Amino acid sequence: MASVELIDITKRFGAVEVIKGLNLSVPDGSFTALLGPSGCGKSTLLRMIAGLEDVSGGTVQIGDTDVTHAEPKSRGVAMVFQSYALYPHLTVAQNICFSLSLAGASKAAQKEKGDNVAKLLQLEALMGRRPAELSGGQRQRVAIGRALVRDPKVFLFDEPLSNLDALLRVQMRLELAKLHNDLKTTMIYVTHDQVEAMTLADKIVVLDKGVISQMGSPLDLYNHPANRFVASFIGSPGMNFLPAVVRMQPGGLHAGFEGGAVMKLTPRATPHFDGGQKVEIGIRPEHVALTNPGQGQIDGVATVFEQLGNTSYVYINTSLGQIIVEADQSVRLHPGDRLGLTFDPARAHVFDANGTAWAETT
Amino acid sequence: MTTAQTMTLAKARRIKKFNVAGAIITILTVIGAIIFAFPLYWGVITSLKFDQDVVRPGLNLLPQRWTISNYIHVLTTSNIGRWYLNSLVTSVSVTTIVVLMSAGAGYAISQLRFPGRRILWWMILASFMVPVPALIVTHFVLMADLKLINTWAGVILPQLLAPVTVIIYKQFFDSVPKEFREAAIMDGASQFQLFFRLYLPMNWGITTALAIITFIGAWNSFLWPFLAVTSESMMNVAVGITQVRDNFGVYYARDLSSAVLAGLPVAIIYLLFQRRVTQAIMLTAGIKG
Repeated sequence: MASVELIDITKRFGAVEVIKGLNLSVPDGSFTALLGPSGCGKSTLLRMIAGLEDVSGGTVQIGDTDVTHAEPKSRGVAMVFQSYALYPHLTVAQNICFSLSLAGASKAAQKEKGDNVAKLLQLEALMGRRPAELSGGQRQRVAIGRALVRDPKVFLFDEPLSNLDALLRVQMRLELAKLHNDLKTTMIYVTHDQVEAMTLADKIVVLDKGVISQMGSPLDLYNHPANRFVASFIGSPGMNFLPAVVRMQPGGLHAGFEGGAVMKLTPRATPHFDGGQKVEIGIRPEHVALTNPGQGQIDGVATVFEQLGNTSYVYINTSLGQIIVEADQSVRLHPGDRLGLTFDPARAHVFDANGTAWAETT
Repeated sequence: MTTAQTMTLAKARRIKKFNVAGAIITILTVIGAIIFAFPLYWGVITSLKFDQDVVRPGLNLLPQRWTISNYIHVLTTSNIGRWYLNSLVTSVSVTTIVVLMSAGAGYAISQLRFPGRRILWWMILASFMVPVPALIVTHFVLMADLKLINTWAGVILPQLLAPVTVIIYKQFFDSVPKEFREAAIMDGASQFQLFFRLYLPMNWGITTALAIITFIGAWNSFLWPFLAVTSESMMNVAVGITQVRDNFGVYYARDLSSAVLAGLPVAIIYLLFQRRVTQAIMLTAGIKG
């Protein structure tokens, strides 16, 4: 096990700078997710930690060792690829023991380690098969086994579940969580799926255009997004953003919506507040309540009603744009129904024109 | 007539038209196959006739008297054993070296980044455009200077120029997903291990196909071995069988039995690895086309 320190890391491809002076500390034994949209630089960052990509500037440190220019094999890291990259001409056992075989380990040593890994990942019955004869989930487990057999200090996962179907993804997520719990090895996990990041990681790093947008625990990011980008990226369905004007009125800060509705906000740090400032109020679907028309802050018309069994989502057209509401499973609505909407002011987020959140103050 | 009936009728007509076209193509193909196979058939049948029967007037599609005396004669009175050995040694050497060298060169050009890589690649492509006969004189002078005339090495060396196999390997190595390479690098593989334990085994099919076609080419090669060897004991089978005619005069049955013996190993290899040979021919044709 080891921590990973990235100090002032930059990466340029020609004139394009994809990672811009990034600093990140991954604690020893943690499960850290690098989360962001396609092209944000998360895979590049992971590949730089692995040594598969040269860094243009900065330092990569694993444990106490500077590995910035070290060969991948001498970094003590193992990587699980998105495509699994299982060698098609080798059996499961040979795939798992490939690194040992390259290092010249004896057949007996290979078998012993291979069997231990197979037992841990329940691959015993598959050891003689080739990758083409395995299901997606089995291939995934073999890929993990291949990483595991090297006893790495750090595991790197590059979107390992993205090729699996929804059901298998949930199952594998659980297995990965168990694995981390058992091994307590440092794991860095790249994903664009916020659900994976939220469920697996104890620390999420949200990347946007090569810089860290925010990092913290999953709930911290969910409940206290530092900016509009993080707020929109975390949570499914995404947060509703409503244009508003913030004014200081008797009793505190108030957000005024188009059409005259007003919502009292909880106390917040208000940088550069000049009174009458245009902002966006961010509110998650579960923090909007449905009421009768005229009884809420604004009214709207239901356009789509999605029932998921345990919950429902209502897409409502309002004068402020489309608002998504999470409703109780017992609610029955039809497109065209007119509704009132009430926002929970305690759960509202305020984003200024630059997209920066005004943090709540107590 | 309803629309459905009209459509069914039209479909039936189309099927009928297609079948006629298919039948014509089949007949033409069969005629073509007969035309191409007939000389082979004629050669084999003639080699099983007595020489007196060969020149008998009329189309004798089957021998009136069967004999293997021509084969016995060639096997017992000529140097064919030695020619087989020469062919075997030179063909196996050419095949092994060409495959290893081409795979190595293809791997280097495809996967390694080194100064001059692009120029090297263009040179290989350009060399592909130079016909081998145009180099024969140069090869002969070079081999003579190296005192390699009438040696196995002299026969082998000029046949090692095989840009097309380098091109094929390069293309195949290009198509290997980079994740395999990166996974192996993470596993601690060196360049040699990457080449021998990943890229070559993953492209085993193409290696087999290229090896077979190279072997057949080397076994059948005539022009260069004919020039590079003057001593009968160093001749390969293809060149050696010309000596059979010289030794015994024009005896068609004996000449053809020696030709059949010369072509037999290649025919056996072709029959055993038919699919691979076809694959290799398609690959080289694809490159050339």
